[in-house]
Amino acid sequence: MRRKFKMRQLTQDAVPTTSLADMMFLLLIFFIMTTTLAKTTGFITDVPMGTKGAQQSSSEKSPSVVLHDGKITVNDDQDMTMQQLRNYITGLHLDRKQGDAKVVIISAEGVVPYQMYYETLAMVQNASGVVAIVSDEVEKK
Amino acid sequence: MIRRPKHELPTVPTANLVDIAILLIIFYMACSNFLSASGKLIPPTAPDLYKIEEPLITVSVDQDGAIMLQGHGAANAAEVEAVLSELLRDKTAEDSKKRMVMFKCDASVQRQVYQPVLDAIVHAGGLILAVGENREQ
Repeated sequence: MRRKFKMRQLTQDAVPTTSLADMMFLLLIFFIMTTTLAKTTGFITDVPMGTKGAQQSSSEKSPSVVLHDGKITVNDDQDMTMQQLRNYITGLHLDRKQGDAKVVIISAEGVVPYQMYYETLAMVQNASGVVAIVSDEVEKK
Repeated sequence: MIRRPKHELPTVPTANLVDIAILLIIFYMACSNFLSASGKLIPPTAPDLYKIEEPLITVSVDQDGAIMLQGHGAANAAEVEAVLSELLRDKTAEDSKKRMVMFKCDASVQRQVYQPVLDAIVHAGGLILAVGENREQ
């Protein structure tokens, strides 16, 4: 009687789940290794667009920053380093200004890597300024 | 004859281990940010960048100057503008969150490559969300 019962137990159908845990842990390790939990950092900018002439007339007193071949020129006459530009932008107190007075015109000429351009945009943005970009395309118009 | 008492080996219950592992996998799958199809990309750095929520539309430019829109290659800035205009067509100016376009660009890329793409995003009515890495001042 006992022997018969044992036989029945052995022939019972069952899904083998012993290796399931191993597979799950392999997947788990994969996801742990590939997951980036850090959030994306950056800044949001709503760039006003228009012709160069229109921008100049509507914002005559707007400070302009020209990036060209690794150099920074402010208001067409002052050459600055990135730190000097930061001090200058901070000194403008753009957070206290309103409307067009917040605008800082940024244009790039010649060889300007994105790092330099990005840092300038971020600087104006952090100082509560509004970035106005002058591009070649706009200049052609 | 002396009967020895049966010593059963202590066992760790592992039946629920799989359930826990599955839950963890679901968590990591939901949290994962897989790299886009774009090539190598070293983002620019700047101080005082803040955390931003990733929008649905992504435009990236890798270090070779290849433009990617939503993970697919775009031939030039004009194509980016055309596709973005279509994607942002129903988004109103007030709905700024839906107009956001994440712009990822390699720090070494030159102006001739990134500026037309930035212009294309603006012309299409997008709000630029420029991605970079925080740097200590």
